[in-house]
Amino acid sequence: MDFHTDLLVIGGGMAGLVAGTVATEKGLETVLLRKGQSATAYSSGAVDVIGYLPEASAPFISPEEGLTAIAGLYPLHPYSIVGYGEDVSPEQVVDTIISRTKTAIDWLKEHLSKTRTPLVGDFSSNIYPITILGTTKPTCLIQQTMYPADLEENEESTLLFAGIRGFPEFNSAAAAKTYLEDRVALSLPPRKVAHCEIRTTPFGETLNLSQIEIARHLDHNEGLEDFAAQLKDHTDRVGATHVAIPPILGLRNAVANQTKLKDLLSAHVFELLGFPPSVPGLRLQLALEGIFQESGGKMMVGHEAKSFKLKNGVVESVLAQAPKRAATISAKAFILASGKFIGGGLTGDENGIRETIFGLMTVTGSYHSAEDILPSKSTNRLAITPEGQPVYATGLTVDPNFRPIQEEGVEWAGNLFAAGSVLAGYNYSVEKSGLGVALTSGYSAALNVSDYVKEVSK
Amino acid sequence: MNEDEAFEYAKTTLKEERITQYSPTEQEVVKSVESCINCGLCIQHCPVIAAVGVNRFSGPRSIAVQLSRSPPEFWSTADVVYLCTGCGTCKEVCPKNVNIPEVVNMIRSRIFDQRPDLVPKGLHIVREVLTKYNLAFEPWEDLEEKIESRDMRLERLGLPYIEDPKLSKADVIFYPGCQAEERSQEVREAAKVILDYFDVNFAVLDEMSCCGLPSVLMGDQDTASSLSKKLEKQVKSIEAKIVVTTCAGCTSNLSEIAERDGWGIPTVHVLEFLAEQIGFDRLKKTFSERADYSDVHVSVHDPCHLIKHTSRQVMEYALAILRSIPGVRVTESKAHDSCCGGGGLVAYHASDVANAVVKENLEAINETDAERIVTPCPLCTAQIESNLFKTGSSVEVDDLTVFIAQRLPRG
Repeated sequence: MDFHTDLLVIGGGMAGLVAGTVATEKGLETVLLRKGQSATAYSSGAVDVIGYLPEASAPFISPEEGLTAIAGLYPLHPYSIVGYGEDVSPEQVVDTIISRTKTAIDWLKEHLSKTRTPLVGDFSSNIYPITILGTTKPTCLIQQTMYPADLEENEESTLLFAGIRGFPEFNSAAAAKTYLEDRVALSLPPRKVAHCEIRTTPFGETLNLSQIEIARHLDHNEGLEDFAAQLKDHTDRVGATHVAIPPILGLRNAVANQTKLKDLLSAHVFELLGFPPSVPGLRLQLALEGIFQESGGKMMVGHEAKSFKLKNGVVESVLAQAPKRAATISAKAFILASGKFIGGGLTGDENGIRETIFGLMTVTGSYHSAEDILPSKSTNRLAITPEGQPVYATGLTVDPNFRPIQEEGVEWAGNLFAAGSVLAGYNYSVEKSGLGVALTSGYSAALNVSDYVKEVSK
Repeated sequence: MNEDEAFEYAKTTLKEERITQYSPTEQEVVKSVESCINCGLCIQHCPVIAAVGVNRFSGPRSIAVQLSRSPPEFWSTADVVYLCTGCGTCKEVCPKNVNIPEVVNMIRSRIFDQRPDLVPKGLHIVREVLTKYNLAFEPWEDLEEKIESRDMRLERLGLPYIEDPKLSKADVIFYPGCQAEERSQEVREAAKVILDYFDVNFAVLDEMSCCGLPSVLMGDQDTASSLSKKLEKQVKSIEAKIVVTTCAGCTSNLSEIAERDGWGIPTVHVLEFLAEQIGFDRLKKTFSERADYSDVHVSVHDPCHLIKHTSRQVMEYALAILRSIPGVRVTESKAHDSCCGGGGLVAYHASDVANAVVKENLEAINETDAERIVTPCPLCTAQIESNLFKTGSSVEVDDLTVFIAQRLPRG
């Protein structure tokens, strides 16, 4: 079962799939290993670039503003790394970071435009979609089904929060109250907010419903029609122009369902951002897998990178372990996109924090060795604070080509690159930067790999 | 009383308290549950939940985090754990690869030991057959009739009859599994046609004996272990280098047992044997020699025991083999890797659940417009065939081994 390829990507989340797709489009034969699903599948399905600076309470107006601040304050942040390529002059650093991130965002939007989950929003400004708690969060791209249209600009708009009986994750009354208080404080529309509860019965009962069951139910015509009929009564009663529903608009047909509901209700229906694991997160994951496979990349699902062979300063091969079989895959280059603590790229125990496949050097968010630091030393007693949990900023530190480095600052192997949340130096949950870093670093690592492979193939 | 004595004393009370100690292998499984982060991703992917809802089947996460941690009252969960089809999807999508299918087997074995009255009746019937005949299905009473049924199948499929080789030693052991031995005899015959065509020096067991997977799935560890010991003896006496099977469940289970018990020889599916031992160049040349087969549009079903319990690469081989046969066009079904519902012995006591699970596959198969669905497992073949038939579909179902054997040159 052993074989050779140009590029082996380890990890199947945003970073790995984007890197794999870009590399394949650049002409590399690419194989991707995935041992389990990633934090992307687990996410809310919105693509954040940069929402906040650590410890700041006001969000950035635009990714550009945020990236400029990051480049100035955190030169080792994964976003900043792209500004330190050999061919970048000091005065171009910030522009390079911004333009690379914008290119990656545009690339993603374009690639997902024909999938089950097209994205809206763009690099010029952050947007503030509503969550199932009735709060808002800064992000860059959201799925089309989450787009609230002119809700917050139209003086005449009335928003209806529609909950579902027996679906415990969303309380429409509480969300409506939170959201309205916010809008009143800002003195901005919508001026009227209402809430209701409808019944949907995927398996004949209105209790103990999960997101995925409702989403699959709405993918069927009968399910959607019944849902629409009930929603219509409430929409007409309150004169709603917009309807906010939890993120359950379908797994396969969400976009078509949104259009159908709009026609049937004469109101704009959109999904709220939900808790992990969310249906939009799964849609995003499936769409990314789709573009990778369409580009010609090969996925090896259920395969875990177990060990490797290093020779003359380059990784020669990786052993991919399936439940009862194994394959040795040799490649010209490797991208490590194995994730952090959820994906299993990093693990922490009483001896410190380790990178699980190659045993690469790990550092804390402040770039001290994390190899013999108790993970609990990098945590706060308070679960949620503006500084967040520093342990999330631990990971690998890389050179300007996104190659993990050793203590002396030189790359660990000439052909091993890293991307996504296995990298150190950013705290996604505080910054609201998770998928954006994964996207930009995956995109950048793939460009570097492509150059590298062309160089060594000469 | 010192600590060791106290431990020994406590152990004597376990039986009374209906507690069964974990074996070292089971401890590994329990340990994998410790890494569960309770995220619930598995719920989104479980085919049983998709078919019947979380209210009927609480799903993998609940099995891992709640049900596995309630000894000795495992039996309070009996109505749930027997609905798992053991497809392995949860373990595959789990970011932590928690071994939930094994947790299910472990819980079932506790219930079997302590409260056999709670084991579904349909499973007890399988157990009786297994302990009486060493087979998962009652053997034919009349051997003449069995031969007659075999010959009818061969004739219908246009396959030649290859006699069982009477070898006591051979390079390869062909192990058909219970379904192909007693029911889908055409699969057993087709494998012999293939092995014979490629001049493989192979033997079959004098007396077919089950690999023990059904016993594992019902929690009957004693029968599972006596069956595997019996098989080990038979296999070792042939002194072969490899075991080749045509059943997905046998492939994964024999791979597991052989590794665990140190048989020293691997078990592979016939697809792996063709891809790795015969090679695609030779296969391609072989198939091109047969010109009298008309073009056919097929779709493929991936058996869980191959893709999720063995390796997804096996089905890559299946596709590569199909593509090397002239005139075969393959369209992927949206649900190609979704469980057919035939696993986990669910169909023996809750056929409504098993049939609800296969519905997704049927709809996706019909969407492909393929004339034929092929799958390398006689159990999946039977489950899909009978359910397609019930819906009045015109799509034909073939075991992939049969499909391949039919397309080999004759003469």
